[in-house]
Amino acid sequence: MNATKTHGKHGDFAIEAKGLVKRFKSGKSFIEVLKNVDFDARHGDLTMVMGPSGSGKSTLIAALSGLLRPEEGRVDALDVDNLWKMSSGKIDKFRLDHCGFIFQGFNLFPALSALQQVEIVLKFQGLSKSQARKQARISLEEVGLGHRLNQRPAILSGGEKQRVAIARALAKNPKILFADEPTSALDGENGQLVIQLLRRAATQHGAAVICVTHDPRLEAWADRVIKIEDGIIISDERRIPDPNAALAHH
Amino acid sequence: MSLALSTLLFEWRRYMAAVMALALSGLLVLAMTGVFIGIGKGFTAQIERSNADIMVLRPGATSLISGPSGVPRRFIPLVYNHAEVVEVQPLDGAGGSFQSVKDVDPTASQADRARQGAPRQQFVSARIIDTAPGSVTIPTDYSQALVDALRQPYTVAVDETALKTLGVKLGDKALYNGQTVTVIAVTRGYPNMMQPTIIMSRDTLRMLGQADTGPRVGPLMVKIKDPSRAAIVAAQLNAAGNGQWQAWTRQELADANAGAMFEEGILVIIIGGCVVLGTIIGVAITWQTLRGAIMANIKEFASLRALGVGMGSLRRIVMELSFWVGLVGVGAAIFLTWLVQMLAMANAVIIALPPSLLIVVGGGLVVIAMLSGLLSMGVLKNSQPADLLR
Repeated sequence: MNATKTHGKHGDFAIEAKGLVKRFKSGKSFIEVLKNVDFDARHGDLTMVMGPSGSGKSTLIAALSGLLRPEEGRVDALDVDNLWKMSSGKIDKFRLDHCGFIFQGFNLFPALSALQQVEIVLKFQGLSKSQARKQARISLEEVGLGHRLNQRPAILSGGEKQRVAIARALAKNPKILFADEPTSALDGENGQLVIQLLRRAATQHGAAVICVTHDPRLEAWADRVIKIEDGIIISDERRIPDPNAALAHH
Repeated sequence: MSLALSTLLFEWRRYMAAVMALALSGLLVLAMTGVFIGIGKGFTAQIERSNADIMVLRPGATSLISGPSGVPRRFIPLVYNHAEVVEVQPLDGAGGSFQSVKDVDPTASQADRARQGAPRQQFVSARIIDTAPGSVTIPTDYSQALVDALRQPYTVAVDETALKTLGVKLGDKALYNGQTVTVIAVTRGYPNMMQPTIIMSRDTLRMLGQADTGPRVGPLMVKIKDPSRAAIVAAQLNAAGNGQWQAWTRQELADANAGAMFEEGILVIIIGGCVVLGTIIGVAITWQTLRGAIMANIKEFASLRALGVGMGSLRRIVMELSFWVGLVGVGAAIFLTWLVQMLAMANAVIIALPPSLLIVVGGGLVVIAMLSGLLSMGVLKNSQPADLLR
């Protein structure tokens, strides 16, 4: 395995969902957060899902990634027909093998060094200690943290922490990468670094990158922008990304 | 280094409560059990440190402490029949009242006399040695000067721990069963925990009228030519005795004596109570601490879940963590007990910590920690990666 491997053919479907419905109980009534949503994402694309708070964008990626079971609808991902038909153990395994996740919070273990944060996931994936170490090192160097391998989160900056989280997600070479508001806890400079890394994951590694955000300035890097409001996709447009776009300072 | 171990080391303050709970549970059980074993050892120290390789007891005796152990005097020559036996001496001892001598006005009121430290009667047990050089009844750590001193009639030795209780000092005269004796030596390392003990020669005991002079004597202490053959000779003596007596090696008897302490119902209740209390407290605190510690890292666990790490793997992390907490707890328990042991030693209380006790209690602490880990596993279900998505 190496860090620059590519997946699928650019343009192939990586994930395809049909008729997703998700309701949450609120008091005695139910709120429908996803209203019969169809969604797809392709290898090599940076697909941006945008919408205001409460629009259901996070629920959408939770349902797509096997984290939150939708009431109705199906998700076909890679060569799996209907992800939600599988047992939860198999869904975990699917995520372990194919999915990366980046959250707004960095969720790094305070006790582990940057290298260990990345290694631990690789070890769960079944890599040997030395393979995991090698791969983790490559991955961290790729996000520009080659000089911070042995630092714990406490002394890393916010941007560095997010880059460790990205290295952790990218190290296992995911075919699908989910990112939830990856830049909203970061300043402009670090935000730009992060979105460029996501851009690169799509372009160079051929991953299907699905990025949820409410920050309109990120649109510049996207191949495709999907807008969602009140659980309904209201627009879906392709565009030519500008890899040299600059994110203004917040 | 694994995630569990790194977390324990890095966030040790968070786990301190659990470690301390385990350590104190361990201390409770170790110290209580150790004290009782120590009391038992106090009773038998003189015999265990003698150079008797074999003891001959009455058949059916289960230890020196419990049950009749004396034998008929005619067994002495019978035991001498074995070619390897060098010396046979019956154990002897007695008990009586002991009173220091102090010049206090006997007509003063009880309260006044007490205030002036008037002598009070103490019940003591008396142990004997034979003062012939190298005799089997002399503990190996007795100096020649001590043996020589005790050879004088009407002299006794007292352990330093009993001096205060008995109200005497070296060279004092005192009354033992109404007869004057002289405290001619003070021993060290024979703490008297329950009843003070005085040591005298067999001849002094006879002159005081308490020695076994009749047809029955105490258990026989036997010295043989080659101590390493004790087990073989004991077996041969048993065969020769044809069921009339039972020969034990010194080690067998020491083990039986320690065990006999725990046949006392009250001790079982006290130690059992400590074990139950220690377990409950240990589990409760360790469980809650682990729960809190897992909750503190719940987002990190959830992010691992999101990356596809299964619940089973997270459970293994928690179990590993509890195992390490248990292990550190064992270390802390042994350290604390060692401190208490030192403190006790300074106050003449023996806390005996045989390795088998440490292993059993240590194993128990690890089990308690793992049990707490099992209980705290429930909070892992809060590691819902969907919660990380806003």
